[in-house]
Amino acid sequence: MLQSEREKMMTMQQHQTAYVQRCKFTRTGATVYLGHLDLMTCFERAARRAGLPILYSQGYNPRPMMVFALPLGVGIETMCDYLDVSLDRPYDPDHFVKEMNAHLPSGLQLLTSKAIPEPKDSIMSIVTTASYRFEAKGIRKAMETAMEQETLVVEKMAKGKVKQTDIRPLLICLSQASDEDPDAVTFYAFAGSERNVRPDLILNSLCTYCGMDRALSENTRVIRTGLFSGTYPRIVPIEDVEVRPNTAGA
Amino acid sequence: MMNRPVPLTKADLMQVESPARYVGGEYNAIVKEDMLEELSRTGKTSYVRFAFCFPDIYEIGMSNLALQILYHVLNESPFVACERAFSPWLDMDKILREKNIPLYSLETKTPLCDFDILGFTLGYEMCYTNVLQMLDLGHIPFYAKDRGENDPIICCGGPVTYNIEPMADFFDIVMMGEGEEMILELSEKIREFKLSKDTDHPMTKEELLRNCDTIEGVYVPALYSFSYDKCTGAVITPVDDTVKKSITKRIISDLDHCSYPTTPVVSNLRVVHDRSYLEVFRGCIRGCRFCQAGFIYRPVREKSVEVLCEQGRLLEENTGYDEMGLLSLATSDYTKFPELAENLLSTFEGHHTSLSLPSLRLDSFSLDLMEKVQSTRKSGLTFAPEAGTQRLRDVINKNIREDDIFSALRLAFMGGWSTVKLYFMLGLPTETDEDVLGIADLAARIEKLYYDVGRETGQKMRRLEITVSTSLFIPKPFTPFQWEPQNSKEELIRKQRLLKDHIRSRNIRYAWHDFDSSVWEVVLARGDRRLAPVLLEGYQSGHFFDAWDDHFRYDDWVAILEKHGLSIEDFSREFSEEETLPWDHISVGVKKSFLLSERHKAHEETTTPSCREHCSGCGVACFGVGECFAKRNVNKEESSDAAK
Repeated sequence: MLQSEREKMMTMQQHQTAYVQRCKFTRTGATVYLGHLDLMTCFERAARRAGLPILYSQGYNPRPMMVFALPLGVGIETMCDYLDVSLDRPYDPDHFVKEMNAHLPSGLQLLTSKAIPEPKDSIMSIVTTASYRFEAKGIRKAMETAMEQETLVVEKMAKGKVKQTDIRPLLICLSQASDEDPDAVTFYAFAGSERNVRPDLILNSLCTYCGMDRALSENTRVIRTGLFSGTYPRIVPIEDVEVRPNTAGA
Repeated sequence: MMNRPVPLTKADLMQVESPARYVGGEYNAIVKEDMLEELSRTGKTSYVRFAFCFPDIYEIGMSNLALQILYHVLNESPFVACERAFSPWLDMDKILREKNIPLYSLETKTPLCDFDILGFTLGYEMCYTNVLQMLDLGHIPFYAKDRGENDPIICCGGPVTYNIEPMADFFDIVMMGEGEEMILELSEKIREFKLSKDTDHPMTKEELLRNCDTIEGVYVPALYSFSYDKCTGAVITPVDDTVKKSITKRIISDLDHCSYPTTPVVSNLRVVHDRSYLEVFRGCIRGCRFCQAGFIYRPVREKSVEVLCEQGRLLEENTGYDEMGLLSLATSDYTKFPELAENLLSTFEGHHTSLSLPSLRLDSFSLDLMEKVQSTRKSGLTFAPEAGTQRLRDVINKNIREDDIFSALRLAFMGGWSTVKLYFMLGLPTETDEDVLGIADLAARIEKLYYDVGRETGQKMRRLEITVSTSLFIPKPFTPFQWEPQNSKEELIRKQRLLKDHIRSRNIRYAWHDFDSSVWEVVLARGDRRLAPVLLEGYQSGHFFDAWDDHFRYDDWVAILEKHGLSIEDFSREFSEEETLPWDHISVGVKKSFLLSERHKAHEETTTPSCREHCSGCGVACFGVGECFAKRNVNKEESSDAAK
C-alpha cells in the first residue's frame, strides 16, 4: 500500500456509539505516588487485562477512551474521584466494577459505576469544586488562620518561570460538618478547568502565612474527599449530576 | 495483598524524581504471606529469602527479561521468597545515606542485609559500580572476605559475568550461563546452610561455598587464586584439588518445557521498554566475529511455534500491555517466523495490541509484516551493515551484502518509507581509511537510490532522512576478536573526523557514540582481579551510574587506574595468543582454538557460513542439544547411510 492511500484510510472517521460507564474510584497506598499519566495507564491496562470491550479513539494513535474528571497530583490520595469509560456495548455496572477491581493494582479500586448515555458535556467540564482533607499536627488552626487572610500569595512554576499567585480566592470554606479534631481539616476549593488550586500550594501558603513548619507541611497527608459540580453551596457530587445526552452524530 | 509502607516519610518521597520507583505494589508482584506470618510469629523463617538486585534504576531494571524470568522461577519454588531491589537514583541515594536507612526490597521493604542471598544480574560492565552502591546502601561489606557468617551470600549472573574477574573479589558465587535450573540448585544449598544453623552442626560459610562449587556452572572466586605476570598473563588457579579446574556455562536444553513468566510484574510506572516480552529462541546462527552474544549464547535453541503462540496469548491477557516484543538475537532467523507472526497478529486482532519486531532482516515478507503491525505512522528502517566496505564486512563475518540492502531499500522506498538508520562500528580490526570513507559512500548511494525510485515511479517523495550512527569497536571475551587491540582514542577521533568531513548531504545526519565510555568499557571487559581496588576507590570517591553518560568521569577513572599502577593500555593492547587470558578458566562451550582459527580467518578476509548452512565445529555441540547438534546427527546418519 502506498503511503498516501494509507493516510487516507487512517483519517476516515466512523461514528461509534459509546456506552459510557461513569465510575467512582479511590486511590491509596503505593499508587498515591504515581503521576496522572501513569495512573491513567494503570486503569487502561486493568481494563485490557479484564478483557472489557473498551472503545478506542480513531486516527493515527488510537487510545482507550477513558476520561478522568480531574487530574490527581503525585502524593494525593483520593476517596472519591471519577472517570468515564466508553465501551462498545451495554455492560452491567456491578459486573464492570467487579472485573476492574479484580485487575487493578493494589491501592486502586472502583467503588461504584453507573451506565450513562454518551454525555454532551465531558466529565472534565462539569467539575467546579473539590473537597480535601489535610491531616497533620495542628493543621485545623493553620487552615483557620489561612481562611482569615485577605490574600494568600504563593510562588508557582508556570512555563518554566516563577509566578506569584493569590490562591485565597480559590479557597471556598472549611467544612462545617467536620469534627473538632485539631489535627485534621476538610475544606472546599475551586477545581476544574476554569479555576483550580493545587493542594501543595495551599500547604505552602500555610508555611508563609500561618507559621506552619515546612517539614510538617511536606508530610501532611492529603486526601481528596469529593468532586462536585455547581456553585457552592449548591454543589452536587459528580455521580449525581444529571447527564445531558449527546445527540449530535446520532 | 497489602502493600507494606516504605521506611521513608512522604516528604522524602515527594522530594525525589518518580517516587513510584521506591514503593512497590505492582500488579503480579509476589509476596509470600505465610513467610511474613512466620516472621512476625517467630522472628525467623525457613524460606530462603532472595533479593534479586538490578544495579540500575527501576525503569531500566523492570524492562529486563532476566529479572522477570528468575523472579518467577524462584517464587515458583515452595521454599524461596524472591523480592526485587534496584539502584536508587542520586536523589534517593542521598536521602538513604543521610537518614541511615538501609536500601530495601520493594515487596516487603526488608533491608538488603537481612536477606539470605542477594543475586545481581549484570547485563553491562558499566553497572559494576552500582553493585557496590547497592551493597553499601544495603549495609553489607564490599569484599567477600570481609563478610561474616551472618551476612548475606552475594551472587551474580548475566552475560558480562563470563569475565567477572574485575568484580570477582566482591562476589561469593558467580553463575555462568542460563540460570533457570542453576539458581534453584543454588537456593537449595543455601536452604541446607540456613537450616543447619538451628542444628548442633551448623554449616560454615566456607563449607557452603565448597558445596556450591559442586553445582555445574557455579564459580566461587574465593576458591581460586590469582597471579599476574607480564609474560604469562592473568592466571587463575584452584586453591586445591577438590575445586573444579574450569567452569562450564549452563544452558537450558528444552526451552518449551522451561518455566517462562507469562504473569510478569507489570510496573505502575511507565518504564524504558513498556511492553511484554516473548522470548523466541536463544543463541544465534550467525557468527559475527565482534559479537559476544553470538558466541556466548550458543547453541541455537528454538521454542516451538505452538508454545510461543500460547505464551503470547497468556502474556497479552495477563499484563494488559498494548505492545508485545519478540525477543531474540535475530527475529527473522526463527525458522517458523511467518507462522508465528501471523498467529500472534490474529490473536491480537481487534485488541489494539501491536507487535514490536526488533532485529528484523528486511525482505518483502518483513516489509509486508511491518505494514500490518504498524498501526500508526511508519517508523524508520534500521540496518546494521557494521562496516563500510565488503572487505571489512568479510573480516567481521557480517553476512550482509550490499545487493540485499539495496533491493530491500528499493521495496521500502516504494512503500513510502523515508527514514533510514544505518549502524556502523569504527575501529574494527584491519580497518583502513578506505573502510571509513566507505560508510559515507554507502549513505550517499542510498540517498541516490531514494530519488531514483521517486523518478521511476513518479511518486511524490517526502524528505529523506538518513542517520549514520557509529559506535566504537570493543574487543570482548569469548569472541574471535578477544585478542585484538582497541584503537587509541586519538586514532578514533581522527577516523570520526574523517567520516564527518565526508558526509555532506543535508539529508544525512551523523550521530556518534562517546569514546570515553567505550575506552573504559574495554578495561572492564578484559580486566582482571587487579581492578577490584580501582573500582572500589572509584565508587568511594563518588563515581557510580557510570552507564549514564552524564555521570561518567573518564579522566577521574584514568587517574585512579594509574594510581594503582595500571593504565588503559594494559587492557586495550593486543593480547598475545600465548598468554593466559583472565577468563581462560571459564568455558562457554565454544573452544578457544575455534575462536583463534576464526581470528586468523578474519585476517585472511575469509567468511564462515552460518550454523544453519554448515557446522563449523565451534565446540558447542558438547552440550548435546541445539539446532546445529541435531543437524550434525542428521548429517552423520546420512553419511553413514551412504557408506552402507
